[in-house]
Amino acid sequence: MSALYALRYYFFYPSFFVVIIFPGLIFTTIVLLLTIWFERKAAALVQMRYGPLYVSKRVGGALQLVADAIRLVFSEIIIPVEVNPTLFVLAPALVFTFTFVPMILIPYSAIPQSGSILSPYFHIFYDPNIHKGLFIGYFVPYNIILIMGLSAITPVFILLQAWATNNRFAIVGAVRESLLAVSYDVLIVMSLAAVAIEYHTLDIAKITETGIPGIIANPLAALVFFIGMLMATGRFPFEIVEAESEVVVGPSTEYSGLLFVLAMGGSYVTTFALSFVFSDVFLGGWLPLNGLPGALWNSIKAIIVLWFTVFLRAVYGRYRIDQALRGSWKYLLPVAFASLVLGLVVGQLWIR
Amino acid sequence: MTSQLEFSASGLEVEIIPVEGELNVGPQHPGSGHMRIYVKLDGDIIVDAKIDPGYVHRGVEKLSEYRTYMKIIPLVERPAILDSIHMNLGYIMAVEKILGVDVPERAQYLRTLAAEVNRIASHLYGLGIWAIFLGHSTGYMWGFGDREVWLEILQALTGARVTNSYIIPGGVRRDLTPAIKEMVEKAIAYQRRKLQDWYKIFVNNPNIRARLENVGVMSRENAIKWGAVGPNLRASGVYYDVRKIEPYAAYDKVDFEIPVYKEGDAYARLLVRFAEIEQSMRILEQVIKNIPEGNILSDRFFKQIPPTRLKKWWEGQRRIVFPGYYASFRPPKGEAISRVEAGRGELVYYVISDGSANPYRLRMITPSYRTIYVFEQIVKGSRYADLPAIYGSLDYFPPEADR
Amino acid sequence: MDQVKIREYKKETNPFRLFADHLNAVATGLKYFVKPQRITLRYPEESLTLPTGYRGMIRLYKDVCIGCTLCALICPADAMKMVTEGGKKYPTINYGRCIFCGFCVDVCPVDALKETRVHDAVFTNRREMIFWPDKFNQDFDQPIPYQGVVKKVRAVVDEKKGIKYVPDE
Repeated sequence: MSALYALRYYFFYPSFFVVIIFPGLIFTTIVLLLTIWFERKAAALVQMRYGPLYVSKRVGGALQLVADAIRLVFSEIIIPVEVNPTLFVLAPALVFTFTFVPMILIPYSAIPQSGSILSPYFHIFYDPNIHKGLFIGYFVPYNIILIMGLSAITPVFILLQAWATNNRFAIVGAVRESLLAVSYDVLIVMSLAAVAIEYHTLDIAKITETGIPGIIANPLAALVFFIGMLMATGRFPFEIVEAESEVVVGPSTEYSGLLFVLAMGGSYVTTFALSFVFSDVFLGGWLPLNGLPGALWNSIKAIIVLWFTVFLRAVYGRYRIDQALRGSWKYLLPVAFASLVLGLVVGQLWIR
Repeated sequence: MTSQLEFSASGLEVEIIPVEGELNVGPQHPGSGHMRIYVKLDGDIIVDAKIDPGYVHRGVEKLSEYRTYMKIIPLVERPAILDSIHMNLGYIMAVEKILGVDVPERAQYLRTLAAEVNRIASHLYGLGIWAIFLGHSTGYMWGFGDREVWLEILQALTGARVTNSYIIPGGVRRDLTPAIKEMVEKAIAYQRRKLQDWYKIFVNNPNIRARLENVGVMSRENAIKWGAVGPNLRASGVYYDVRKIEPYAAYDKVDFEIPVYKEGDAYARLLVRFAEIEQSMRILEQVIKNIPEGNILSDRFFKQIPPTRLKKWWEGQRRIVFPGYYASFRPPKGEAISRVEAGRGELVYYVISDGSANPYRLRMITPSYRTIYVFEQIVKGSRYADLPAIYGSLDYFPPEADR
Repeated sequence: MDQVKIREYKKETNPFRLFADHLNAVATGLKYFVKPQRITLRYPEESLTLPTGYRGMIRLYKDVCIGCTLCALICPADAMKMVTEGGKKYPTINYGRCIFCGFCVDVCPVDALKETRVHDAVFTNRREMIFWPDKFNQDFDQPIPYQGVVKKVRAVVDEKKGIKYVPDE
């Protein structure tokens, strides 16, 4: 084995490539910057103005976020006197780190036995459910449940962040987050359970490989999952945790500099992870391609879903906390039950 | 407590962990404007809210005792910059009552035109601020963007976008040209078309409806008892508008309606403001069509302008220049009260003159000042997230209350 | 009172109607997303020519002024004060106090004061804001701060777009 071949082998090893490069740390950070740019630009297009423009005029101001990120990273981190400094600094870092963890377990593409750059890893990442390899960080045959479980940890760290801040507005924001966490988790889990029952499997890769996208097989589950995704990540109209005109910035009121970037970035990374799950389960994932082009196609679908959720900033205001809770328990839970029944029926009749 | 009854009647009772204490929604807060609100919270319910005005108090009433009557015109415009034509008009009406001068008809129509354009601009400002309090950034940008059109009209008519200083004792300063008439017609067409999109994205948006329906309800008796004015009063079922009760300028010659809604909640106040924009556009169309020819300054002062200046300014550009009388005039002894329907409610001026060049006392009662008590009473028992919604619905403007 | 008609608004509780209203709002947002309508003026590459009669900075004509002090008497902000130069009185103006109300222009009996259409003046310290009569006598024109061609435009009210900027010759 020559050195070049060894380098290639270890570089494209999916556990390294997925987690660090694509679609892992580096790719997600770039998508995060582009998404915030798109959020400001889309809002500006609807609102009779230009949005970011001057920083790089020829590309419509897309490098504005790079400038903003550099400025924020080098701003001074102010730690108030009456807080526990260790927890104050640790909490946003924990939030940002734990939002990346679900991305290890989501399958991004299928590896064919030959013909792709990833084929050497066909037997290492072999998925017995679909008889192909998987382009994934770590393969677990029941990954739907594990992803949901891991992404439900994040509210705890947000509560820790607000409690460490010792500020009344942060506490109000944290109480709202804890109340919402219960209701959106139920919705997401129920809609994914409906899909799992329908396709008779707990493996996302098998759901995608059947060739029938979930949005056709069970549109109610898609709707419930989408609204649950909006609630989970604080996108309009459910921007309740960081409601600007009521609780300044919510749990991250006292943060500045790099810690503020981490606190804000966490919610975008969660949205991106959940939109990958949405595109895999409901939009047909990486079909009809596979290998690396399949992963690229999957990412494009996920980015479109992500950009649609940030576009909603220009259309909606924000709900009140008790209205969001009442809406999710009174209106959406029956729809989730209906999607469960639909999943049972369709699973028996159509999908075998 | 009434709050418990409201919430159990609405379906599901939601118990929020009690976090008791005070929140200081202070001057440096995105949801407060230039004033401080002390909020006493019990969990999520507001027990008491005390407003602390005075952050932008500039002492307009005391300062006006040391200035001559013409110098006070820019001074009284500044408390409510976006509504400055009405503040100007009320003051000049009181001074004209003391001076005993009558105003020609064309000047009355022009005053009505400027006042209605300013009313539309003021309502759009209020809607923009209210939308951003609810988180709806599109309503905010559209409110201020649409306002630009009306400010262009005021700039063409008076020379400045805000704080116009357009109305002087005896008439107005500049005249209407055909270019301005065309601008007004185009602006009305544009605004009518844009209001359709406003309805789709803001007024009929189920999110905004859920935020505003049954929020901050003020019954008819309470509205009268607490002294509400303006659109807040009309949204609670009381038919009262100074333009109909005691008509001034040209309001008895144009045909318009006063929108009155029964429910008295924040959504009714929203609909009242939208309906008032539509009625103002109706008044503008009639004024442009029916404005009579004539002079725009009363003859008593017009005769004092030297003929050479008159030829250059009046016949050339239709602008009034001041005779030397205005530099310091001494009205006879007397006192006068005038009432005007400003964008936010009824505005009262009381001027006492003792025969010298400065007034003895100037008292102005602004509509936002009267809204302070209403605000404190309405907010009791509602949720914390309703505080910005109620604040925006009452259209409280802190500098106008502080003067 | 004529026509006391008290209105009521309709409360919507049908969930399908609510869903349709949601879709309507999103569709309106998408309509503007696809065809935006912008009213921003790209200052300073485009610079606005203001209409005649705009109350901007003021200019004095020294040889016409008769020194009657009416402008200083009527100025609401006490920005105009008279100084004696060579036996005659001339006004000086303090732009730190001027509120651009235009009263002095209107009251001058010999039209020695004129409004220019300049509104974006910049000074580097407060002493520069006081214009003695000789400086007041000059035509006030700000140098263009941006390297490159500055396009002069005029704002026009338009039915479809609100404000449109047309080039000004």
